[in-house]
Amino acid sequence: MNGRSNNRREITLRTREALYGYGFILLWIVGFALFMAVPLVQTLNYSFNQVTVTASGINLEFSEWANYSRALFTDPNFIELLIGYTVETLVSVPIVLIFAMIIALFLNVKFRLKGLFRIIFFLPIVITSGPVIKELTAQGAASAPGIANIPAVVEFLATLPPALRSPVQYLLTSFILILWFSGVQILIYLSSLQKIDRSIYEAAAIDGASSWEIFWKIVLPSLSTATVVNAVYTVVTLSHFSENKVIRYIYDQTYDVHGGIGYASAMAFLYFGLMVILLALVYFFLMKWASRGTR
Amino acid sequence: MSKRRVSRFSRYTGVRNRGINPQGFHVSQLKFYVLLLPLSVFMLLPIVFIFSSAFKPPDELFAFPPRFFVVSPTTQNFTDLFSKLTNSGIPVSRYLFNSVLITLVTVAASILVSSAAAYALSKKRFKLKNTLFTINNIALMFVPIAVTIPRFLVIQKFNLLDTFWVHILPMLAMPVGLFLLKQFIDGIPDEVIEAAQIDGASDWWIYLRIILPMIRPALATIAILTFQAAWNNADTSTLYINNESLRNLAFYLSTLTTTTTGANSVAGQGIAAAAALIMFLPNLLIFIFLQSQVMSTMSHSGLK
Repeated sequence: MNGRSNNRREITLRTREALYGYGFILLWIVGFALFMAVPLVQTLNYSFNQVTVTASGINLEFSEWANYSRALFTDPNFIELLIGYTVETLVSVPIVLIFAMIIALFLNVKFRLKGLFRIIFFLPIVITSGPVIKELTAQGAASAPGIANIPAVVEFLATLPPALRSPVQYLLTSFILILWFSGVQILIYLSSLQKIDRSIYEAAAIDGASSWEIFWKIVLPSLSTATVVNAVYTVVTLSHFSENKVIRYIYDQTYDVHGGIGYASAMAFLYFGLMVILLALVYFFLMKWASRGTR
Repeated sequence: MSKRRVSRFSRYTGVRNRGINPQGFHVSQLKFYVLLLPLSVFMLLPIVFIFSSAFKPPDELFAFPPRFFVVSPTTQNFTDLFSKLTNSGIPVSRYLFNSVLITLVTVAASILVSSAAAYALSKKRFKLKNTLFTINNIALMFVPIAVTIPRFLVIQKFNLLDTFWVHILPMLAMPVGLFLLKQFIDGIPDEVIEAAQIDGASDWWIYLRIILPMIRPALATIAILTFQAAWNNADTSTLYINNESLRNLAFYLSTLTTTTTGANSVAGQGIAAAAALIMFLPNLLIFIFLQSQVMSTMSHSGLK
């Protein structure tokens, strides 16, 4: 922008468009490079080193894959935490998506007090980040510990094969917590529901489609993009949630005498790798479903 | 939307005011309330909880199993908190002022930066576009706490330690914000922008007058998220600030409940509950203030 307008006539339209594009994104690039990209590369570097902080500065001692192998093969907690995280994420994502979709469908219909209900269901956005959730988890209110101790539930859990037991238990105890993660997702669904042209519904109704058929043939396929966005958003918020056990562990290890920065960096990268795999999984399934829906 | 629909029906069928969707209450709506009411109670529980635990006396705070509602409310926690506040070396108003200033600047600047970037990534054509968005998505997945220490080095190099900027600048490039905003701008049809271009609108004008108003729900959402991130951010004050008078309220309240009480952790819990409520109230207020933005414009975004 600055000064570019002088030689505007000499450059092609496409270059101009590109320059404006870069102009709009420039601030972001600078901020991102400084505070995200550079530190990220530095973290990657740390993960291959034994890092010791001294009064004079930070000392690096190259240690190849030592930090990684320690996290994967020696550390008694880390793998356990990762498995727990994977199970929880794979259980939570479908529930959040389905719950958000159902609520959005309801909130898209006109009825009295709809506005109030929309606000209430959007409210979790101020709950899941910040002091509230900290206070809630500290007090043990985010889970429902009572449920897991009911004799019938205990017996039921005992009959399940071990592989299924922990997901089901997680589902029972943290159902409410999972629901609190669906504020933004409901909003995204609502906004894409409202983009569906009403005349499509009318045309379908005239052709004799029931509302059940309209949902499966019209509404669901047009929500496929929103579903992918929501899935990504859900995985990311669940993984970065400050009370997440893996995050807490990495944080503790950063300032731990036996852990250290290098070790924590390696764990962060392993966690990141797992997240990428999970996202790819979710993405793959949803894409498959979306392409089937539009066919 | 449905008003329009009602009128269309009445034109053809002679039905007046009672379209498919009645304006007032109708028995057929009962099913919505049956389903939504219990769920909305669940959604409200945390808020009720945070209010009720701030007024709990110590024995109720430590009760097992934890009790949800306060039985004998007391303002003792607040009295404790305020007596601590008056004893502090630096007036609390200083921390409060820092927090308010930091939060306001962060929210405004991050909305501007992310939305401009999202507009460029979504609607402009340039070479690095897809690469940049991919990089953002990778950063989105990376654990933010892992970069705090390398970030320290960057901040040190630019002489930003112990300045106001260190509170604000690192929060501006919020990957989640860019991701959400880009998705929303993707939903705006290209025709709208092309029409504006044909009418001679500049890029800046399109961004300010067309894009921003159309993504107001997303902007309000990002504003709420950024507000909370900035307002509750105690880490920056811990890691990058040594000058006590540049730290923020979140940091100050967290020190009250952890270090200074130390031995007396019972009173600490009560103070923590009261402090959590005080820290939470601005979040709730900003939510109530911005939710109308989120809700009202949601129904008419896009081409019709």
